[in-house]
Amino acid sequence: MSEASTAPPATARGGQDLPGPSADRREQLSTALVVGAVVVAVAVAVAVTPNFLSVDNVRAILRNAAIVGIVAVAMTPITLSGNFISLGTQQSAMAAMVIFIALVGTGWPPAAAIAVVLVALVAVGVIQGLVVAAGLNPVITTLAAGAIIFGVVADATDGQIVRVGEHAVSWGNSTIAGVPLEVLVFLLFTIAVGTFMTKSVSGRRMVLAGANRETAEVSGISFRRVTIGAFVIFSIGLAIAGVLSGAGFGEATIQSLSTLTIESLAAILVGGTAITGGYGSPWRSAGGAVLIAVISNVMVLNDFSTGGRLAVQGAVVVIVVVLLEWLRRRREVR
Amino acid sequence: MALLGENGAGKSTLVKALAGLIEPDSGTIEVDGAPATLYPSGRSQAAGVAVVHQEYSSVPTMTVAENLVLGQSGVPSVWWPRALNSRARELLAQVGLEDVDPRTPVEHLTVAEMQLLEVARLLVRDARILIFDEPTAALTDREIDRVLAVIRRLVEDGRSVIYVTHRLAEVFRLTDRVTVFRNGRSLPPEPTGELDVDAVINRMLGRELEAMFPPRDTLVDEPLLAVEGLLAPGLVAPVGFTLRRGEILGLTGQLGSGAGTTVQALAGRLPQTAGRVVLKDEEISVRTHRASVDHGFGYCTADRKRDGIFANRAIRENLSSPWLDSIANRVGWVSRRGERERATDIAKRFAIDTERLESPVAALSGGNQQKVAVGKWLGTEPQVLLLEEPTRGVDVGARAEIYTSLRRLCASGLGIVVVSSDMPEVLGLCDTIATFYRGRLTSIAPHDQRSEEELAREVMHHDPSEAVP
Repeated sequence: MSEASTAPPATARGGQDLPGPSADRREQLSTALVVGAVVVAVAVAVAVTPNFLSVDNVRAILRNAAIVGIVAVAMTPITLSGNFISLGTQQSAMAAMVIFIALVGTGWPPAAAIAVVLVALVAVGVIQGLVVAAGLNPVITTLAAGAIIFGVVADATDGQIVRVGEHAVSWGNSTIAGVPLEVLVFLLFTIAVGTFMTKSVSGRRMVLAGANRETAEVSGISFRRVTIGAFVIFSIGLAIAGVLSGAGFGEATIQSLSTLTIESLAAILVGGTAITGGYGSPWRSAGGAVLIAVISNVMVLNDFSTGGRLAVQGAVVVIVVVLLEWLRRRREVR
Repeated sequence: MALLGENGAGKSTLVKALAGLIEPDSGTIEVDGAPATLYPSGRSQAAGVAVVHQEYSSVPTMTVAENLVLGQSGVPSVWWPRALNSRARELLAQVGLEDVDPRTPVEHLTVAEMQLLEVARLLVRDARILIFDEPTAALTDREIDRVLAVIRRLVEDGRSVIYVTHRLAEVFRLTDRVTVFRNGRSLPPEPTGELDVDAVINRMLGRELEAMFPPRDTLVDEPLLAVEGLLAPGLVAPVGFTLRRGEILGLTGQLGSGAGTTVQALAGRLPQTAGRVVLKDEEISVRTHRASVDHGFGYCTADRKRDGIFANRAIRENLSSPWLDSIANRVGWVSRRGERERATDIAKRFAIDTERLESPVAALSGGNQQKVAVGKWLGTEPQVLLLEEPTRGVDVGARAEIYTSLRRLCASGLGIVVVSSDMPEVLGLCDTIATFYRGRLTSIAPHDQRSEEELAREVMHHDPSEAVP
């Protein structure tokens, strides 16, 4: 039936205007929750772990948070725009890392290698964006893309370790004013994406498309452009993460960054971004990454087993997500 | 007994209390003369109270028969489809659905049939007091007749019915007594026979409603939009009309008549297979929605929750969503000040509270949500507004405000095309009225040459045999 309306009308049931705080209040509350969680985690860590706040340890935590954080921040626009998540995260970042190391190892100047990595990843990202915008499920699309990328890289490297050899990148593990390079990049990237999402027309459109895709289309917002834009940002983040990891480690295999997909997803969820889109913030995804890194670090210092660490990380994600959901419902009932 | 009142007057709250969904703060409820506690809902059901909600609670992919036993106690955990289906047939016959096969999946039913199925589900529970909460809001006139006939039959069988509605006509056709709600208070019930439409509206608003519909302006004969030979899927004959500057053109017809299809094609939301669209002497293409928007068409569908609003985003962001480009600076950033100024301006023109621009739209009443859904287009400085059912599910007060705003827009030189199945609305609001029937434009004439009876005949004509007794 092409005619307008078989659906029930959208009556405000029981419906006067409800008194209520602004839409921003919810954002502020979620932000407060993430910041609060980090503070609590740090407080607990200081109590149970000597030397937790030593410069070296803080630096270690931030370095651990940086790569996951960059990817989580970069993936947030995809989630915000209603395209769920990418399940091909590890494979793409790993491919970026392998390409970078392989090029540098054969004598390419790092700047040229970075350019190649960027172009390659953005191209792959745009293709995925086009497929998703054409109506394919983003989870399936990215999962399939991840498998393809993984297969191609595995074949190309023969499963062997790729090394930079004598062409090690000089800035690989450098610090600027005591701040590790990747931490600085993490900070700048978060500022850039966060500002883009709140201030730019394109960022606003991404959020609106995620909030209600049908309304967005009727309002003249192109879902295709939004989706491709989100995938481009994601790809840039993956390229940065891959290059930084490659420069830092100097070698890579297809198994590199193996926990990246799940950890970046956890960071986004802990940051309170709605998995269905329309609500969330790159800033909080960054906070989520830091939170996970803090918890992980405490457990390492306290000699938790690998299995125990994973279990606790999973539990933390569940607790924070449940807490966020509970907050949201409580506010909606009122 | 009819329950009437604007949105937020307290009808739904009372219904919830009777259904046992909320606990009364004070007061007593008597059933059959004895005090009764209806909270929680189990007790309400035991007392024989049943509510037919406007949102259907059937499972769409299951069959009619399966839905009838769903949620009932005393159903065996394994059943034979045959026994189930014959029991279902009996129940369906009671609600006038004897022609529906119990094996049909519910998703294949029409909206009216689903509504009647809801009633049948309550009869299974042997409910004696039936509460209908706006049962006809989504139905066409003919379907309404069908539902009302069934309700009348239920009453004749000795059941009592409380009927919540926005549609005054139904009150007079169906009910014995009327209780009007206003601002959370109820007025004493009155026999329906002693009231007329004006009296009821006065009680609802608590003031005289002299002009629900604003006065019309004299039209200058200056064509704004000419549509010639338009064809789209759902239209069987070419549609043509001219919209003048400052005119409100009403397209009316039943569901599937082609009225909605026509504006959807003009909005670029449906493929246009033939025809010319001329805007101000210049032929334009509106084959994509984007092109339609770029040429100055604003479009609002009948289902605002689905594609009219961003429920959880702020009013300001809703209003600015179609014109973000025009408030962007050179690097593509939103100018906050430009956005706020224009959103405030729109809010003023559409009687939206400017203090609440940062509130999520979901917190607004249906009427105010509708103002946001329509008002956002003002920021694009549109030439033509295409509106489907602009006041569906909107209370009387907000309706009047929407009508006034639309009329004011016309005075500034816009043309508006309104698709509506609400006859009084079409007659009261529009300058010119076109009727549609089964994919054809069947007549077009100025409003003062039309009457409600004639319009009703036009939109249903050609086959009186299909009219429901």
